[in-house]
Amino acid sequence: MSAILQARELVSGYGDVRILHAVDLSVAEGGITAVLGSNGAGKTTLFRTLAGLLAAGAGHIEFCGSPIETLPSHVRVERGVVLVPEGRLVFPDMSVEENLRIGSVNARARSKCSKTLSTVYDLFPRLDERRSQAAGTLSGGEQQMLALGRGLMALPKVLLLDEPTLGLAPTMAKQIFEIIPNLVELGLSILIAEQDVHRTLQCAQFGYVLENGKVAVSGTGPELMQTPAVSEAFLGH
Amino acid sequence: MDILFSPQLLFSALVLGALYALIALGLNLVYGTMRLLNIAHGDLVMIGAYAAFWLFTLTGISPLIGLPVIAVLTAGVGVALYSVLFRGQLEGTQSVAQLEANSLLLFFGISVVLQNVMALAFTASPRAYRHLDDVYHVAGVAMTGNRVATLLIAVLVLAGVVIFLKSTIYGLAVTALIQSRDAAKVVGINVSQVQVGSFALGFGVAGIAGALISMAEQISPFMGFPFTIAAFVVIILGGLGNIAGGIIAGVLLGFIEIYAVALTSATYRSILLYGIFVGVLLIRPQGLFGKTRGG
Repeated sequence: MSAILQARELVSGYGDVRILHAVDLSVAEGGITAVLGSNGAGKTTLFRTLAGLLAAGAGHIEFCGSPIETLPSHVRVERGVVLVPEGRLVFPDMSVEENLRIGSVNARARSKCSKTLSTVYDLFPRLDERRSQAAGTLSGGEQQMLALGRGLMALPKVLLLDEPTLGLAPTMAKQIFEIIPNLVELGLSILIAEQDVHRTLQCAQFGYVLENGKVAVSGTGPELMQTPAVSEAFLGH
Repeated sequence: MDILFSPQLLFSALVLGALYALIALGLNLVYGTMRLLNIAHGDLVMIGAYAAFWLFTLTGISPLIGLPVIAVLTAGVGVALYSVLFRGQLEGTQSVAQLEANSLLLFFGISVVLQNVMALAFTASPRAYRHLDDVYHVAGVAMTGNRVATLLIAVLVLAGVVIFLKSTIYGLAVTALIQSRDAAKVVGINVSQVQVGSFALGFGVAGIAGALISMAEQISPFMGFPFTIAAFVVIILGGLGNIAGGIIAGVLLGFIEIYAVALTSATYRSILLYGIFVGVLLIRPQGLFGKTRGG
């Protein structure tokens, strides 16, 4: 499988604090790629840099063969690189439907907004039931669905899922994991960061383990399951 | 106490309230989307008033006809200020507190410059013109044509902006940026476009308010400051960045001012305004309808 999104020697951080040190990673087209790592390993920094919320200090990001590391976040969204951020970041005082509609603000998705909206409601009937409710009043799991749905409204080609099950009840986390393969069937490529190693490696074809802002080890799901680095990375968690 | 039930007072309160709501709207947009404290906001009202004055005096064109031109003029001032001064501030400043402090100082300077440039160009003496000042009597209320027009146009503009914010994707983008800058970037909103748009819309509406005011009141280069204060009272009452709350609070302040002055005396007007300002900050700093907002 060819790579749809690629990071090469990517360096990033906040101000003078460097968090990512030369990360190399590629997201396979039409597949699920996992990023594993303990808290503070740099997963969120990596995702925010790929999405353009953080400027890359050095290195390159390529999407569909062209460099995107200098593009502002809204242009990356329009091209099809869409982040579903850690902590959901829904608009609390806007209704569920407004949250979804604003998801298709980019020029490519805007004209197809109504059609995408019904697809998203089919995928998440719960959101349909609550369409006029303020997003801030939803439960954590529902907000995660909303954040996912909002991401889909942008008509992404690559979806960057940053810890989609963080803080969710186990049944809700299970539901989220059941939805992810459906997204691939819709034609998306997925990069997912997760703490739940077993479940993630079951659905991902390839994975990277981040440690202190570097890729410590990478490989297919079964390969990673057997590496000591994986168990080490998550010991004590 | 009969005075409280006078329809005349009710009409005055509505006119003033609608103007306050209109003026505060722009301040709220600029603060809400960018956390910039525009202490020069009332001076845009002044520029709108002068534009209307000269338009009418030189060409005889009614300010009501000229409103779109005046709005474009003050919106243009907004776009210029954004491009020259504030775009860099917004990109280079990390913390909200620093941004608020810097913007307060910058806008203070802008306010002083605008006032003095206008005083230099057109002298500091107050000016006025007569337009639509025929008095109509309707249901026991004596009202001049210009005040009726002010009320109607203010309500129309407010309704237009609310509908724009509620039901278009551009308006939704403004609301989204007010609620969370980070999330706005995540969903792919072109943040700098929304920012320049907020400047244009906010300043344009302030210009319209100024033109409306100039039809019924004396204007001077220093007329803006009381409106700035009133607008700050309104947006704090309504909750910073809360557009609907600000409109309600604007009308409320108009009523409080008109009725309180009617019950006491006009000399208490500014004491009242500052009193409410301080009172709200002390008792309910998040505003009457304020909500806690995320970054």
